[in-house]
Order: sequence, then C-alpha cells, then structure tokens
Amino acid sequence: MLDSFSRSAARRARRQYVGLMFRFMGHALEAISRFDKTVIDEARGMPDGLVFQMTVLPSGPALAIEHTGDGVLRYLGSRYDGPVDLSIRFKHLAHAFLVLSFQEKTVEAFANDRMVVDGDIALAVRMTRILNRLEAIILPRLIARRAIKEYPAELGLLEKLPGAIGVYRRVAFSMIRDLRKEALSQ
Amino acid sequence: MSRYYEFFCPVKVIAGEAALEHLPYELTSIASVRPMIVTDAGVRAAGLLEPVIAACTESDVTFAAIYDEVPPDSSTTTVREIANLYRQQQCDAIIAIGGGSSIDTAKAVNILVSEGGDDIAAYSGAGVLTRPLRPFFVVPTTAGTGSEVTSVAVIADTERSVKLPFTSSFLLPNAAIIDPRMTLTLPPHITAATAMDALTHATEAYTCLARNPLSDAYATAAIKKIGRSLLAVMDNPDDVQGRLDLAEASTMAGIAFSNSMVGLVHSLGHATGAICHLPHGLCMSLYLPYVLEYNLEDIREPLSELLLYLEGPEVWAATPASRRAETTISAVRHLRDELHHRCELPRTLRETGKVKQSQLDNIARQALDDGSIIYNPREASLKDVRSLLEKAWG
Repeated sequence: MLDSFSRSAARRARRQYVGLMFRFMGHALEAISRFDKTVIDEARGMPDGLVFQMTVLPSGPALAIEHTGDGVLRYLGSRYDGPVDLSIRFKHLAHAFLVLSFQEKTVEAFANDRMVVDGDIALAVRMTRILNRLEAIILPRLIARRAIKEYPAELGLLEKLPGAIGVYRRVAFSMIRDLRKEALSQ
Repeated sequence: MSRYYEFFCPVKVIAGEAALEHLPYELTSIASVRPMIVTDAGVRAAGLLEPVIAACTESDVTFAAIYDEVPPDSSTTTVREIANLYRQQQCDAIIAIGGGSSIDTAKAVNILVSEGGDDIAAYSGAGVLTRPLRPFFVVPTTAGTGSEVTSVAVIADTERSVKLPFTSSFLLPNAAIIDPRMTLTLPPHITAATAMDALTHATEAYTCLARNPLSDAYATAAIKKIGRSLLAVMDNPDDVQGRLDLAEASTMAGIAFSNSMVGLVHSLGHATGAICHLPHGLCMSLYLPYVLEYNLEDIREPLSELLLYLEGPEVWAATPASRRAETTISAVRHLRDELHHRCELPRTLRETGKVKQSQLDNIARQALDDGSIIYNPREASLKDVRSLLEKAWG
C-alpha cells in the first residue's frame, strides 16, 4: 500500500518536474533569442510564424514556441492548441524525464528512438542546435556536458556568464508574471 | 554504445544462385496472379528483365503490366502514372527491379495503390501510414543502396521543386531477391561507387551514435565481404561469388544503417548530391576517410575493430592496438586509390570535375541541416564542416 502510494507520488513529481522544465525552457528560449547572436542567426533560418512544439505523448506536458521573425522566438505557453509546423514528441514521460534531468543527451534520445519528429527534419536539426546553445549558456559546464554532444570550446566565461544571468533574470520575471496571471484567473 | 536500442527488419531475404527462380513461388504463395514490374530503361536495355520474366513464365506466372521508364530522379508524376497503370491493369502485386530510383518509385506507387488517391504528397513524412500495403518485392540490380531493406523512399515533387521523404515500416517489401546475375553486368565505375556506398553505410552504422549489437553484426559482416570481394570483382567482373558477396554486403549494410542511422558522411553526401548532382555512392567514397579522421578520437575503439573485418586477421594482428584506427583509415584510402587506378573513381572533389570551390560554402550550410548529422558522434559546426570540405577538395 505504502509502496504503491510512493510510486504514484514519484510519478506525479516526475510529471510536475517535466512540466516545470518545459515552462522554464519556453521562457528561456524566448529570453535567449533577444540577445544571443548564435541563437538569433539560427532562428533566422526558420520561416516567420513557424510554431515548434515539444511535447510528451499522449497528452503532454508540452511547450510551444513561435518564430515571430528576425530570429525572435516567442513562448506560446504550455496549453497551446493551435496548428503546429514542427514537433518533437517524447514517446513517454519517462523519456522526457531522462533528457530534462540531464541523464540522457538530446542526441542520445534521438539515437535511442525516444522521440518522434513530425515536420521538416532540417528545421528539427536547427531547433536542436538552438536548444544545445541554450543549455551551453545556462547550465554549469559540468552539467552542460551531460546534456549536449560537445561543449562549445569557444564559449568563454565572459560570454557565458552575462548570457546566463540575462536568461535567468528574464525567465524569473516571466514565471512570476505567469504565477500572478494564474492566481488572478482562479 | 547505446544503452537502449530498437531493431526491425521483417524483410525475407532470398539470396544466391537461382534466387530469381524463387520469385514465382513467392508470388503464388500470396495468391498474386497479376503482378506488375516497375523498372527503368537501363535495366531493360541491359537484358536484366529476361531472367526474371523467364523464371516466372516457366512457372506459369505472367505479368499484367511492365513499366520500364522510371527516370533516374523519380517524380510524383511518374508515381501517379504507374499507379494509374496498376489500377487499369488490375494488378495485385509490385515487383521493383533496379537501383534506388526504381525501388523508391515502386514504394511510393505502393502507397497510392494501397491507400487510394492521386496525391502522393499527402502521405509524405513519418508515421503517416497506419496499415500494411499491397504485396511488394524487390530485385536490386545494383549493390550499394540497400533500399530493398530500408523503410524510406524519396520522390521529387517537380511542381513544387522539393524532395518528398516517406518513412514507414510499411514501405518495406515482403521479400528482397538477391541474385548475382542481376549485378554481373554492372560497369566498373558503378560497381566501385555502389560498393563504397555500402561500405560507408556499414562503417557509419558501426561508428555513429545509434549503433547497437544487432546492427553491429550486420555492419561487420558487410565490411568483411566488401574487403574480400570488391577488388576481386573489379579485376574479374564475371566473378559470380564476388558479385554475390557485394550484393549481400549491400543488403546487410542496408539492414545495419536502417537500424542505427548514419552520420556526417551522409550529411555531406546528401548536400553535395543536391547541389552538384554527383551520384550518391561517389559522394560517400569522396568523404568517408575525411569524416573518419574528423571523428577519430570519438570512434577510435570501433574504428580499430573494423580493421579486422576490412583487412583480415593478419593485418589486424600485425598492427599495434594504438595504430589500428589510423590503419583502418589508411585501408579505406588505399581502397580508393585502387579503385581510382582501376576505373578512375574520383578521390577528391577536384577530381570529379563537377564541383566548384565556390559551391563549398553552400554544401557546408546544407550539410549542417541534414538529419543524419544528429547521429554523428562528434559535433560539427559550420567552420568544422567547411574545413572538412577543404580537405576533401584535394
């Protein structure tokens, strides 16, 4: 009985963690696209108005991002249900947890068939590079190495630190705003 | 090595001497009485349809339709045309005879005749098909693409100037018939380029991120056969056993890479093929040693192991363990030199005479967005890819 209860609590905690990480990533992608030249250049290669969704089968959690043009990304929230141009779907919550808890690199998840891509593969590759750049900037080097294939050799502290502070500051503001909105709507 | 893997290959492989004579039995066993052949003019001109037709006629199996005008880069128009012929003639099975283009075309035709409609683009992408298609058989006439065991097809949409990819396990044929008679007349430069294609499939399958124990077994077996038979067949094109070895190697490499994917050699090859219109096998041969050098420190162990299969136990044993990876790359270079000597297969982009240095930037950018780059063991930036292309330029 106790065992079953703790297993169910662990599953709930895992779902909440994945949902929270998706929300963090959504805001972080929006934030980094405001100032990081590498991300802006990569995003510029995507069509204006493209909507990218990362989700967990069968029914979420999810994050949706829109390329509004000129390299700028906009977080559309976790409950976006409009048309999607490109999606990366984890086959199971456990697979999303492996990646978002840095136990498995994104490319390993691809190699291990954990995810299904729907849409233009070239754009999915580009989006993966953007996610890699985000992780290289915001994660400590030791953790980033567990998340991405190769830590960029040219990324020095002088570039990483202001970048990370910029992302965390904007994400904190956005998440507080989200919480206020949610509190007001209840 | 991957901690988790998936492996799937439901294709019956019918290979060896008089393999074609098994085709009528396969057709009658699924109650097919009006099969259709999809092939190209080159296959017909080379007289490769005759042994297939003769084998079937002798067992009272006749063909309801033969379409022999598949172009080298097949299009949605061709697919529609063949699907209409299939319906008009009330066919009940498809037999693709040829190389990559005929096989991919037949896969796309099978989608239309099974699912209905005329718009093949509606079925483009991954996971769109949800049920088995009509009976489908493949008789490869080249030994390199491995298309007879891959669940992918690419068809050009000429009206919209895009290439449409189709991915589904339902595209796989019921059986692949590997008969050495079908590759016996392949010209030397095509024999060489397609074998290098198979070698690249196997090498990347064995060294890239999604490798697994089962794909490893197929990859090493394929490399062993290519190492043993490629130059022998180049010297003696009538070597039936050697031809069969290369055809089997192509199929095994196809099984390997369709279960473990490929890497940067293919990213560069796809981009070069699209921009400079070079044959795929040649592109593989051009880039293989340079990409292995680029990846070297990430693939030292598997690459060292490949020396045993490519060069044999004597060379492997005589080479110090610390030098085996480099020796494998040297063996690939030596193989390319020998092929260049025998049929002038280009070793550098410059030697092709069809690539301009001004195109390298474009190739690099396109390669970076290719799906196979995800599975390459080492990350590659635009600068890395550009520098690799400079080396391959020669």
